Amino acid sequence: MKVRTIALSTFGSFLRNKVIILFCSLFVCIVLLMMSPLLAYKSMTGAANAQQMQGFVLNEVAMVMSMVSGFGSLLAAWAAADSVAGEMKSGTILAVMARPLRRWQFLAGKYLGVLMLMAVYVIAMLGVTFLLAWLGGQRFHTSLWVLLVYPLVRYAIWAAISMLLVTSLHPVFVMGIVIVLATLIQIFGSVSHTLRWVRLPVHLVLPLTNLLSEERFLTITRASLKPYPWTNHLTALAYGLDYSLVCFLLAVVVFQRRSLSRD
Amino acid sequence: MAAPAIEFSDVTKTYQRRFAGVRVPALSGVSFEVARGEVCAFLGPNGAGKTTSMSILMGFIYADQGRSSVFGYVPGDVRAKERIGFLPENFAFYRYLTAEKLLQFHLRLSGRRLANPGALIADLLAKVRLDGYAGLKIGKYSRGMVQRLGIAQALLGNPELLVLDEPTSGLDPAGRKEVRDLILALKAEGKTIFLSSHILSEVEQICDRVIIIDRGHLVRAGGLQEMLAEGNRVEIVVDQLPESLELAVKEWGALVDRKGKRVRISADTSQKRALAEMLWAGGCDIVSLTPMKNSLEETFLKLVAKGGAE
Repeated sequence: MKVRTIALSTFGSFLRNKVIILFCSLFVCIVLLMMSPLLAYKSMTGAANAQQMQGFVLNEVAMVMSMVSGFGSLLAAWAAADSVAGEMKSGTILAVMARPLRRWQFLAGKYLGVLMLMAVYVIAMLGVTFLLAWLGGQRFHTSLWVLLVYPLVRYAIWAAISMLLVTSLHPVFVMGIVIVLATLIQIFGSVSHTLRWVRLPVHLVLPLTNLLSEERFLTITRASLKPYPWTNHLTALAYGLDYSLVCFLLAVVVFQRRSLSRD
Repeated sequence: MAAPAIEFSDVTKTYQRRFAGVRVPALSGVSFEVARGEVCAFLGPNGAGKTTSMSILMGFIYADQGRSSVFGYVPGDVRAKERIGFLPENFAFYRYLTAEKLLQFHLRLSGRRLANPGALIADLLAKVRLDGYAGLKIGKYSRGMVQRLGIAQALLGNPELLVLDEPTSGLDPAGRKEVRDLILALKAEGKTIFLSSHILSEVEQICDRVIIIDRGHLVRAGGLQEMLAEGNRVEIVVDQLPESLELAVKEWGALVDRKGKRVRISADTSQKRALAEMLWAGGCDIVSLTPMKNSLEETFLKLVAKGGAE
Protein backbone atom coordinates (compact mmCIF):
# COMPACT_ATOMS: atom_id res chain seq x y z
CA MET A 1 0.00 0.00 0.00
CA LYS A 2 2.73 2.46 1.04
CA VAL A 3 5.02 1.36 -1.80
CA ARG A 4 2.13 1.76 -4.24
CA THR A 5 1.41 5.26 -2.89
CA ILE A 6 5.03 6.32 -3.44
CA ALA A 7 5.08 4.66 -6.89
CA LEU A 8 1.93 6.43 -8.05
CA SER A 9 3.12 9.75 -6.67
CA THR A 10 6.48 9.30 -8.44
CA PHE A 11 4.76 8.40 -11.71
CA GLY A 12 2.45 11.42 -11.32
CA SER A 13 5.40 13.72 -10.79
CA PHE A 14 7.08 12.34 -13.93
CA LEU A 15 4.03 13.24 -15.99
CA ARG A 16 4.44 16.84 -14.81
CA ASN A 17 8.18 16.89 -15.16
CA LYS A 18 9.35 19.55 -17.58
CA VAL A 19 12.40 17.56 -18.71
CA ILE A 20 10.24 14.57 -19.58
CA ILE A 21 7.69 16.72 -21.37
CA LEU A 22 10.54 18.32 -23.35
CA PHE A 23 11.99 14.89 -24.08
CA CYS A 24 8.65 13.57 -25.34
CA SER A 25 8.03 16.67 -27.45
CA LEU A 26 11.47 16.22 -29.03
CA PHE A 27 10.69 12.62 -29.76
CA VAL A 28 7.35 13.45 -31.35
CA CYS A 29 9.12 16.02 -33.56
CA ILE A 30 11.70 13.43 -34.65
CA VAL A 31 8.99 10.90 -35.46
CA LEU A 32 7.05 13.49 -37.45
CA LEU A 33 10.21 14.33 -39.36
CA MET A 34 10.78 10.64 -40.07
CA MET A 35 7.23 10.23 -41.26
CA SER A 36 7.32 12.96 -43.89
CA PRO A 37 9.72 11.22 -46.37
CA LEU A 38 7.82 8.00 -45.73
CA LEU A 39 4.58 9.64 -46.74
CA ALA A 40 6.29 11.22 -49.73
CA TYR A 41 7.53 7.81 -50.91
CA LYS A 42 4.11 6.37 -50.36
CA SER A 43 2.53 8.98 -52.58
CA MET A 44 4.82 7.91 -55.43
CA THR A 45 2.91 4.85 -56.50
CA GLY A 46 5.26 3.51 -59.21
CA ALA A 47 6.12 -0.19 -59.09
CA ALA A 48 9.83 0.66 -59.19
CA ASN A 49 9.43 2.32 -55.83
CA ALA A 50 8.08 -0.78 -54.10
CA GLN A 51 11.46 -2.28 -53.31
CA GLN A 52 12.96 1.11 -52.53
CA MET A 53 10.03 1.75 -50.22
CA GLN A 54 10.49 -1.55 -48.38
CA GLY A 55 14.18 -0.90 -47.83
CA PHE A 56 13.42 2.60 -46.61
CA VAL A 57 10.76 1.46 -44.17
CA LEU A 58 12.99 -1.24 -42.74
CA ASN A 59 15.77 1.29 -42.29
CA GLU A 60 13.43 3.66 -40.52
CA VAL A 61 12.13 0.94 -38.22
CA ALA A 62 15.68 -0.12 -37.35
CA MET A 63 16.59 3.50 -36.67
CA VAL A 64 13.57 4.06 -34.45
CA MET A 65 14.30 0.89 -32.52
CA SER A 66 17.89 1.83 -31.79
CA MET A 67 16.82 5.39 -30.90
CA VAL A 68 14.13 4.05 -28.59
CA SER A 69 16.66 1.78 -26.96
CA GLY A 70 19.32 4.48 -26.44
CA PHE A 71 16.93 7.23 -25.33
CA GLY A 72 15.03 4.76 -23.18
CA SER A 73 18.13 3.68 -21.29
CA LEU A 74 19.06 7.30 -20.63
CA LEU A 75 15.49 8.15 -19.65
CA ALA A 76 15.33 5.24 -17.20
CA ALA A 77 18.65 6.21 -15.63
CA TRP A 78 17.76 9.90 -15.44
CA ALA A 79 14.25 9.29 -14.06
CA ALA A 80 15.59 6.99 -11.33
CA ALA A 81 18.34 9.42 -10.35
CA ASP A 82 16.04 12.44 -10.41
CA SER A 83 13.24 10.78 -8.47
CA VAL A 84 15.50 10.24 -5.45
CA ALA A 85 17.83 13.23 -5.78
CA GLY A 86 14.91 15.61 -6.42
CA GLU A 87 13.25 14.65 -3.15
CA MET A 88 16.51 15.11 -1.29
CA LYS A 89 17.23 18.46 -2.89
CA SER A 90 13.78 19.93 -2.30
CA GLY A 91 13.50 18.49 1.21
CA THR A 92 10.14 16.81 0.51
CA ILE A 93 11.75 13.56 1.62
CA LEU A 94 11.76 14.79 5.24
CA ALA A 95 7.98 14.96 5.56
CA VAL A 96 7.60 11.69 3.63
CA MET A 97 10.15 9.75 5.69
CA ALA A 98 8.65 11.10 8.92
CA ARG A 99 5.71 8.83 8.13
CA PRO A 100 5.81 5.20 9.28
CA LEU A 101 7.64 4.21 6.15
CA ARG A 102 10.80 2.12 5.88
CA ARG A 103 13.61 3.34 3.72
CA TRP A 104 13.45 0.31 1.43
CA GLN A 105 9.74 0.97 0.90
CA PHE A 106 10.51 4.51 -0.21
CA LEU A 107 13.17 3.30 -2.65
CA ALA A 108 10.98 0.46 -3.92
CA GLY A 109 8.15 2.93 -4.56
CA LYS A 110 10.49 5.19 -6.48
CA TYR A 111 11.78 2.25 -8.51
CA LEU A 112 8.28 1.06 -9.37
CA GLY A 113 7.35 4.61 -10.37
CA VAL A 114 10.27 4.64 -12.82
CA LEU A 115 9.24 1.25 -14.21
CA MET A 116 5.69 2.53 -14.70
CA LEU A 117 7.07 5.45 -16.70
CA MET A 118 9.25 3.13 -18.75
CA ALA A 119 6.30 0.81 -19.42
CA VAL A 120 4.36 3.75 -20.85
CA TYR A 121 7.43 4.71 -22.87
CA VAL A 122 7.87 1.20 -24.28
CA ILE A 123 4.20 0.95 -25.25
CA ALA A 124 4.25 4.38 -26.88
CA MET A 125 7.43 3.70 -28.79
CA LEU A 126 6.20 0.32 -29.90
CA GLY A 127 3.12 2.09 -31.22
CA VAL A 128 5.35 4.49 -33.15
CA THR A 129 7.35 1.62 -34.67
CA PHE A 130 4.19 -0.15 -35.74
CA LEU A 131 2.81 3.10 -37.14
CA LEU A 132 5.92 3.65 -39.27
CA ALA A 133 5.82 0.08 -40.54
CA TRP A 134 2.12 0.38 -41.32
CA LEU A 135 2.64 3.64 -43.17
CA GLY A 136 5.32 1.93 -45.23
CA GLY A 137 2.99 -0.94 -46.00
CA GLN A 138 5.01 -3.44 -43.94
CA ARG A 139 3.81 -5.77 -41.23
CA PHE A 140 5.47 -7.16 -38.13
CA HIS A 141 5.05 -10.84 -37.58
CA THR A 142 6.34 -10.93 -34.05
CA SER A 143 5.24 -11.79 -30.56
CA LEU A 144 4.38 -8.55 -28.86
CA TRP A 145 5.58 -9.67 -25.46
CA VAL A 146 9.20 -9.84 -26.64
CA LEU A 147 9.06 -6.26 -27.84
CA LEU A 148 7.50 -5.18 -24.54
CA VAL A 149 9.31 -7.24 -21.92
CA TYR A 150 12.87 -7.16 -23.20
CA PRO A 151 13.27 -3.38 -23.32
CA LEU A 152 11.48 -3.08 -19.99
CA VAL A 153 13.93 -5.47 -18.30
CA ARG A 154 16.81 -3.59 -19.92
CA TYR A 155 15.49 -0.30 -18.56
CA ALA A 156 14.97 -1.91 -15.17
CA ILE A 157 18.72 -2.61 -15.09
CA TRP A 158 19.61 0.98 -15.96
CA ALA A 159 17.14 2.34 -13.41
CA ALA A 160 18.56 0.09 -10.69
CA ILE A 161 22.17 1.03 -11.53
CA SER A 162 21.24 4.70 -11.47
CA MET A 163 19.37 4.32 -8.19
CA LEU A 164 22.38 2.61 -6.66
CA LEU A 165 24.69 5.40 -7.79
CA VAL A 166 22.41 8.27 -6.79
CA THR A 167 22.23 7.06 -3.19
CA SER A 168 25.75 8.40 -2.80
CA LEU A 169 26.50 10.59 -5.84
CA HIS A 170 25.15 13.73 -7.47
CA PRO A 171 22.77 12.94 -10.39
CA VAL A 172 25.09 14.64 -12.90
CA PHE A 173 27.88 12.22 -11.96
CA VAL A 174 25.37 9.39 -12.11
CA MET A 175 24.42 10.23 -15.68
CA GLY A 176 28.09 10.55 -16.60
CA ILE A 177 28.84 7.09 -15.19
CA VAL A 178 25.79 5.60 -16.92
CA ILE A 179 26.90 6.98 -20.29
CA VAL A 180 30.43 5.62 -19.75
CA LEU A 181 29.01 2.21 -18.77
CA ALA A 182 26.72 2.12 -21.81
CA THR A 183 29.65 2.99 -24.07
CA LEU A 184 31.82 0.27 -22.48
CA ILE A 185 29.05 -2.25 -23.01
CA GLN A 186 28.84 -1.32 -26.68
CA ILE A 187 32.62 -1.58 -27.05
CA PHE A 188 33.08 -4.86 -25.21
CA GLY A 189 29.94 -6.34 -26.65
CA SER A 190 31.34 -6.14 -30.19
CA VAL A 191 35.17 -6.28 -30.05
CA SER A 192 37.05 -9.15 -31.59
CA HIS A 193 38.35 -12.18 -29.71
CA THR A 194 41.80 -10.60 -29.28
CA LEU A 195 40.47 -8.73 -26.30
CA ARG A 196 38.82 -11.73 -24.73
CA TRP A 197 40.93 -11.45 -21.56
CA VAL A 198 39.47 -7.97 -20.98
CA ARG A 199 36.04 -8.95 -22.12
CA LEU A 200 35.51 -11.74 -19.64
CA PRO A 201 35.98 -9.79 -16.39
CA VAL A 202 34.09 -6.83 -17.84
CA HIS A 203 31.20 -9.09 -18.77
CA LEU A 204 31.05 -10.31 -15.21
CA VAL A 205 30.59 -6.78 -13.86
CA LEU A 206 28.82 -4.77 -16.53
CA PRO A 207 25.24 -5.57 -17.46
CA LEU A 208 25.05 -7.39 -20.78
CA THR A 209 22.23 -5.32 -22.15
CA ASN A 210 23.00 -6.64 -25.64
CA LEU A 211 21.74 -9.97 -24.36
CA LEU A 212 18.48 -8.26 -23.53
CA SER A 213 18.06 -6.60 -26.90
CA GLU A 214 14.82 -7.55 -28.57
CA GLU A 215 16.67 -7.11 -31.86
CA ARG A 216 18.39 -10.42 -31.13
CA PHE A 217 15.10 -12.10 -31.81
CA LEU A 218 14.01 -9.95 -34.65
CA THR A 219 15.03 -10.40 -38.25
CA ILE A 220 14.35 -6.95 -39.50
CA THR A 221 14.39 -7.91 -43.18
CA ARG A 222 11.52 -10.27 -42.62
CA ALA A 223 10.18 -8.47 -39.59
CA SER A 224 9.51 -11.70 -37.81
CA LEU A 225 10.80 -13.45 -34.72
CA LYS A 226 13.73 -15.77 -34.98
CA PRO A 227 12.72 -19.15 -33.61
CA TYR A 228 14.46 -19.19 -30.24
CA PRO A 229 13.60 -21.79 -27.62
CA TRP A 230 11.67 -20.53 -24.59
CA THR A 231 14.58 -21.45 -22.29
CA ASN A 232 16.65 -18.87 -24.09
CA HIS A 233 14.10 -16.18 -23.29
CA LEU A 234 13.84 -17.39 -19.74
CA THR A 235 17.56 -17.30 -19.02
CA ALA A 236 18.05 -13.93 -20.71
CA LEU A 237 15.19 -12.35 -18.77
CA ALA A 238 16.22 -14.03 -15.52
CA TYR A 239 19.72 -12.62 -16.00
CA GLY A 240 18.30 -9.11 -16.48
CA LEU A 241 15.96 -9.32 -13.52
CA ASP A 242 18.67 -10.77 -11.31
CA TYR A 243 21.10 -7.99 -12.26
CA SER A 244 18.41 -5.36 -11.51
CA LEU A 245 17.58 -6.97 -8.20
CA VAL A 246 21.21 -7.06 -7.07
CA CYS A 247 21.69 -3.38 -7.99
CA PHE A 248 18.43 -2.44 -6.27
CA LEU A 249 19.34 -4.34 -3.10
CA LEU A 250 22.74 -2.66 -3.03
CA ALA A 251 20.95 0.69 -3.44
CA VAL A 252 18.74 -0.19 -0.45
CA VAL A 253 21.79 -1.03 1.69
CA VAL A 254 23.53 2.25 0.80
CA PHE A 255 20.33 4.28 1.21
CA GLN A 256 19.72 2.70 4.61
CA ARG A 257 23.03 4.07 5.85
CA ARG A 258 22.98 7.53 4.33
CA SER A 259 21.76 10.77 5.88
CA LEU A 260 18.44 12.13 4.71
CA SER A 261 18.93 15.84 4.66
CA ARG A 262 18.50 18.64 2.19
CA ASP A 263 21.42 18.33 -0.24
CA MET B 1 7.65 2.30 33.89
CA ALA B 2 6.89 3.73 30.46
CA ALA B 3 9.87 5.03 28.53
CA PRO B 4 10.12 8.80 28.17
CA ALA B 5 8.84 10.27 24.94
CA ILE B 6 12.35 11.32 23.92
CA GLU B 7 15.66 10.25 25.35
CA PHE B 8 19.09 11.48 24.30
CA SER B 9 22.06 10.05 26.09
CA ASP B 10 25.55 11.33 25.37
CA VAL B 11 24.76 11.88 21.69
CA THR B 12 27.62 13.04 19.51
CA LYS B 13 27.51 13.89 15.83
CA THR B 14 30.24 15.26 13.59
CA TYR B 15 29.69 16.19 9.96
CA GLN B 16 32.43 15.38 7.54
CA ARG B 17 33.02 16.99 4.19
CA ARG B 18 33.99 14.07 2.02
CA PHE B 19 36.66 15.62 -0.18
CA ALA B 20 37.73 18.65 1.83
CA GLY B 21 38.55 16.52 4.86
CA VAL B 22 36.82 19.06 7.12
CA ARG B 23 35.12 17.83 10.30
CA VAL B 24 32.38 19.98 11.77
CA PRO B 25 31.22 18.91 15.24
CA ALA B 26 27.45 19.39 15.46
CA LEU B 27 26.65 17.71 18.79
CA SER B 28 29.01 16.80 21.62
CA GLY B 29 27.73 14.45 24.28
CA VAL B 30 24.21 15.88 24.47
CA SER B 31 21.89 14.22 27.00
CA PHE B 32 18.31 15.11 27.85
CA GLU B 33 14.87 13.62 28.29
CA VAL B 34 11.39 14.76 27.42
CA ALA B 35 8.66 13.18 29.51
CA ARG B 36 5.29 12.19 28.10
CA GLY B 37 2.71 14.96 28.11
CA GLU B 38 5.31 17.70 28.36
CA VAL B 39 5.61 20.73 26.12
CA CYS B 40 9.33 21.19 25.77
CA ALA B 41 11.14 23.95 23.93
CA PHE B 42 14.44 23.22 22.29
CA LEU B 43 16.37 26.46 22.11
CA GLY B 44 19.69 27.57 20.80
CA PRO B 45 21.25 30.11 18.47
CA ASN B 46 21.60 29.33 14.77
CA GLY B 47 24.01 26.46 14.21
CA ALA B 48 23.63 25.23 17.79
CA GLY B 49 22.61 21.72 16.68
CA LYS B 50 18.82 21.88 17.04
CA THR B 51 17.97 20.63 13.55
CA THR B 52 20.70 17.97 13.78
CA SER B 53 19.17 16.73 17.05
CA MET B 54 15.70 16.67 15.52
CA SER B 55 17.02 14.83 12.47
CA ILE B 56 18.61 12.20 14.72
CA LEU B 57 15.36 11.96 16.61
CA MET B 58 13.44 11.32 13.40
CA GLY B 59 15.99 8.78 12.14
CA PHE B 60 17.07 10.94 9.20
CA ILE B 61 20.68 10.98 10.28
CA TYR B 62 22.63 8.72 12.59
CA ALA B 63 24.57 9.79 15.67
CA ASP B 64 28.24 8.87 15.77
CA GLN B 65 28.07 8.02 19.47
CA GLY B 66 25.52 7.83 22.24
CA ARG B 67 22.02 6.47 22.48
CA SER B 68 18.72 8.02 21.55
CA SER B 69 15.19 6.72 21.62
CA VAL B 70 11.61 7.75 20.96
CA PHE B 71 9.00 6.02 23.14
CA GLY B 72 11.72 3.44 23.83
CA TYR B 73 12.32 2.68 20.16
CA VAL B 74 15.36 3.44 18.07
CA PRO B 75 14.79 6.64 16.05
CA GLY B 76 13.47 5.81 12.59
CA ASP B 77 11.69 2.69 13.83
CA VAL B 78 8.28 2.49 12.19
CA ARG B 79 6.63 1.85 15.58
CA ALA B 80 8.05 5.14 16.84
CA LYS B 81 7.17 7.04 13.67
CA GLU B 82 3.56 5.83 13.92
CA ARG B 83 3.31 7.97 17.05
CA ILE B 84 5.10 11.08 15.81
CA GLY B 85 3.89 14.08 13.86
CA PHE B 86 6.79 16.03 12.38
CA LEU B 87 7.03 19.51 10.94
CA PRO B 88 10.43 20.07 9.33
CA GLU B 89 12.03 23.49 9.20
CA ASN B 90 10.95 25.20 5.95
CA PHE B 91 8.38 22.53 5.16
CA ALA B 92 8.76 21.44 1.52
CA PHE B 93 5.92 19.96 -0.50
CA TYR B 94 4.89 18.71 -3.91
CA ARG B 95 3.95 22.00 -5.54
CA TYR B 96 1.68 20.40 -8.13
CA LEU B 97 -0.64 18.88 -5.50
CA THR B 98 -3.54 20.56 -3.77
CA ALA B 99 -3.66 20.65 0.03
CA GLU B 100 -6.34 17.99 0.00
CA LYS B 101 -4.31 15.65 -2.25
CA LEU B 102 -1.16 16.19 -0.19
CA LEU B 103 -2.96 15.25 3.02
CA GLN B 104 -4.51 12.22 1.30
CA PHE B 105 -1.01 11.18 0.21
CA HIS B 106 0.35 11.53 3.76
CA LEU B 107 -2.67 9.75 5.19
CA ARG B 108 -2.04 6.76 2.92
CA LEU B 109 1.61 6.75 3.96
CA SER B 110 0.61 6.81 7.62
CA GLY B 111 -1.15 3.50 6.96
CA ARG B 112 -4.39 4.59 8.60
CA ARG B 113 -7.54 3.23 7.07
CA LEU B 114 -10.50 5.50 7.72
CA ALA B 115 -14.10 5.16 6.69
CA ASN B 116 -14.26 8.82 5.81
CA PRO B 117 -10.79 10.29 5.24
CA GLY B 118 -12.32 13.33 3.54
CA ALA B 119 -13.93 14.45 6.79
CA LEU B 120 -10.66 14.19 8.71
CA ILE B 121 -8.83 16.17 6.04
CA ALA B 122 -11.53 18.83 5.94
CA ASP B 123 -11.41 19.06 9.73
CA LEU B 124 -7.63 19.46 9.75
CA LEU B 125 -7.71 22.09 7.03
CA ALA B 126 -10.34 23.98 8.99
CA LYS B 127 -8.16 23.75 12.10
CA VAL B 128 -5.32 25.53 10.33
CA ARG B 129 -7.67 27.92 8.49
CA LEU B 130 -7.02 26.50 5.02
CA ASP B 131 -10.53 25.14 4.45
CA GLY B 132 -11.19 27.66 1.69
CA TYR B 133 -8.04 26.67 -0.19
CA ALA B 134 -8.29 22.89 -0.22
CA GLY B 135 -8.51 22.75 -4.01
CA LEU B 136 -5.75 25.27 -4.73
CA LYS B 137 -2.35 23.98 -5.86
CA ILE B 138 0.24 24.35 -3.11
CA GLY B 139 2.62 26.07 -5.51
CA LYS B 140 0.27 29.06 -5.31
CA TYR B 141 0.23 29.18 -1.51
CA SER B 142 1.91 31.94 0.48
CA ARG B 143 4.75 31.09 2.89
CA GLY B 144 2.39 31.26 5.87
CA MET B 145 -0.20 29.03 4.20
CA VAL B 146 2.46 26.42 3.46
CA GLN B 147 3.56 26.51 7.07
CA ARG B 148 -0.02 25.99 8.26
CA LEU B 149 -0.39 23.11 5.82
CA GLY B 150 2.79 21.66 7.30
CA ILE B 151 1.22 21.81 10.74
CA ALA B 152 -1.91 20.10 9.39
CA GLN B 153 0.15 17.23 7.95
CA ALA B 154 1.99 16.89 11.26
CA LEU B 155 -1.35 16.48 13.04
CA LEU B 156 -2.59 13.95 10.50
CA GLY B 157 -2.11 10.65 12.31
CA ASN B 158 -3.37 11.99 15.67
CA PRO B 159 0.20 11.64 16.98
CA GLU B 160 1.18 11.34 20.63
CA LEU B 161 4.37 13.28 20.05
CA LEU B 162 4.71 16.37 17.90
CA VAL B 163 8.16 17.40 16.79
CA LEU B 164 7.93 20.92 15.42
CA ASP B 165 10.95 22.65 13.96
CA GLU B 166 10.20 26.40 13.96
CA PRO B 167 6.39 26.03 13.77
CA THR B 168 5.68 29.76 13.64
CA SER B 169 8.34 30.61 11.08
CA GLY B 170 6.88 32.64 8.23
CA LEU B 171 3.61 33.36 9.99
CA ASP B 172 2.16 36.80 10.66
CA PRO B 173 1.27 37.78 14.26
CA ALA B 174 -2.30 36.51 13.87
CA GLY B 175 -1.06 33.23 12.41
CA ARG B 176 1.47 32.87 15.23
CA LYS B 177 -1.25 33.33 17.79
CA GLU B 178 -3.36 30.67 16.09
CA VAL B 179 -0.49 28.20 16.15
CA ARG B 180 0.16 29.07 19.79
CA ASP B 181 -3.49 28.44 20.65
CA LEU B 182 -3.38 25.18 18.69
CA ILE B 183 -0.33 24.01 20.64
CA LEU B 184 -2.04 24.94 23.91
CA ALA B 185 -5.10 22.95 22.85
CA LEU B 186 -2.90 19.96 22.00
CA LYS B 187 -1.17 20.34 25.34
CA ALA B 188 -4.56 20.21 27.03
CA GLU B 189 -5.23 16.95 25.14
CA GLY B 190 -2.10 15.51 26.76
CA LYS B 191 0.12 15.45 23.69
CA THR B 192 3.87 15.63 24.06
CA ILE B 193 5.28 18.53 22.10
CA PHE B 194 8.94 19.09 21.33
CA LEU B 195 9.49 22.33 19.48
CA SER B 196 12.27 24.62 18.46
CA SER B 197 11.71 28.33 18.12
CA HIS B 198 13.55 31.61 18.12
CA ILE B 199 10.51 33.50 19.40
CA LEU B 200 11.16 33.18 23.10
CA SER B 201 8.16 35.17 24.24
CA GLU B 202 5.98 32.49 22.66
CA VAL B 203 7.95 29.69 24.20
CA GLU B 204 7.43 31.34 27.57
CA GLN B 205 3.68 31.21 27.05
CA ILE B 206 3.35 27.58 26.01
CA CYS B 207 6.20 25.47 27.34
CA ASP B 208 6.69 23.53 30.57
CA ARG B 209 10.35 22.76 30.05
CA VAL B 210 13.24 24.29 28.20
CA ILE B 211 16.37 22.69 26.79
CA ILE B 212 19.08 25.05 25.65
CA ILE B 213 22.00 24.00 23.48
CA ASP B 214 24.81 26.05 22.05
CA ARG B 215 27.59 25.00 19.67
CA GLY B 216 26.54 21.38 20.04
CA HIS B 217 26.72 21.36 23.84
CA LEU B 218 23.83 21.15 26.26
CA VAL B 219 23.80 24.42 28.17
CA ARG B 220 20.79 23.89 30.37
CA ALA B 221 17.68 21.75 30.72
CA GLY B 222 14.97 22.36 33.27
CA GLY B 223 11.49 23.58 34.12
CA LEU B 224 10.60 26.91 32.62
CA GLN B 225 9.32 28.49 35.86
CA GLU B 226 12.31 27.30 37.79
CA MET B 227 14.62 28.73 35.14
CA LEU B 228 12.85 32.08 35.12
CA ALA B 229 12.87 32.34 38.91
CA GLU B 230 16.60 32.00 39.02
CA GLY B 231 17.18 35.74 39.10
CA ASN B 232 19.12 36.63 42.23
CA ARG B 233 16.96 39.63 43.11
CA VAL B 234 13.79 40.14 45.10
CA GLU B 235 11.19 42.83 44.97
CA ILE B 236 9.81 44.26 48.21
CA VAL B 237 6.72 46.42 47.96
CA VAL B 238 6.01 48.75 50.92
CA ASP B 239 3.17 51.19 51.56
CA GLN B 240 5.51 54.11 52.29
CA LEU B 241 9.24 54.75 52.65
CA PRO B 242 10.58 57.67 54.71
CA GLU B 243 13.52 59.51 53.14
CA SER B 244 15.90 58.56 55.95
CA LEU B 245 15.11 54.91 55.39
CA GLU B 246 15.43 55.30 51.62
CA LEU B 247 19.02 56.48 52.02
CA ALA B 248 19.80 53.49 54.23
CA VAL B 249 18.20 51.12 51.72
CA LYS B 250 20.19 52.62 48.85
CA GLU B 251 23.39 52.20 50.86
CA TRP B 252 22.69 48.45 50.70
CA GLY B 253 22.74 48.70 46.93
CA ALA B 254 18.97 48.34 46.53
CA LEU B 255 16.98 50.23 43.90
CA VAL B 256 13.95 52.29 44.88
CA ASP B 257 11.08 53.00 42.52
CA ARG B 258 8.36 55.40 43.70
CA LYS B 259 5.48 54.95 41.31
CA GLY B 260 1.91 55.40 42.43
CA LYS B 261 0.99 54.91 46.04
CA ARG B 262 3.44 52.12 46.74
CA VAL B 263 7.20 51.95 46.76
CA ARG B 264 9.04 49.12 45.08
CA ILE B 265 12.46 48.16 46.32
CA SER B 266 14.56 45.64 44.40
CA ALA B 267 17.54 44.15 46.12
CA ASP B 268 19.90 41.22 46.10
CA THR B 269 18.29 37.98 47.36
CA SER B 270 20.97 37.60 50.01
CA GLN B 271 19.84 40.86 51.64
CA LYS B 272 16.11 40.20 51.62
CA ARG B 273 15.81 39.19 55.27
CA ALA B 274 17.93 42.01 56.69
CA LEU B 275 16.26 44.55 54.46
CA ALA B 276 12.77 43.36 55.36
CA GLU B 277 13.56 43.54 59.08
CA MET B 278 15.01 47.04 58.68
CA LEU B 279 11.90 48.23 56.81
CA TRP B 280 9.59 46.60 59.35
CA ALA B 281 11.51 48.17 62.23
CA GLY B 282 11.38 51.54 60.45
CA GLY B 283 7.58 51.40 60.50
CA CYS B 284 6.97 50.41 56.87
CA ASP B 285 4.22 47.98 56.08
CA ILE B 286 5.54 45.27 53.73
CA VAL B 287 2.83 44.56 51.16
CA SER B 288 4.71 41.83 49.29
CA LEU B 289 8.08 40.18 48.92
CA THR B 290 8.56 38.24 45.69
CA PRO B 291 11.53 36.83 43.81
CA MET B 292 12.03 38.79 40.59
CA LYS B 293 11.60 36.69 37.42
CA ASN B 294 13.85 37.05 34.43
CA SER B 295 12.34 36.84 31.00
CA LEU B 296 13.27 33.70 29.05
CA GLU B 297 15.12 35.90 26.63
CA GLU B 298 17.32 37.31 29.40
CA THR B 299 17.97 33.83 30.77
CA PHE B 300 18.70 32.45 27.33
CA LEU B 301 21.09 35.23 26.38
CA LYS B 302 22.84 34.97 29.74
CA LEU B 303 23.30 31.20 29.40
CA VAL B 304 24.40 31.33 25.79
CA ALA B 305 26.82 34.20 26.46
CA LYS B 306 28.23 32.28 29.42
CA GLY B 307 28.63 29.15 27.29
CA GLY B 308 30.37 31.16 24.58
CA ALA B 309 32.77 32.74 27.07
CA GLU B 310 33.65 29.34 28.50
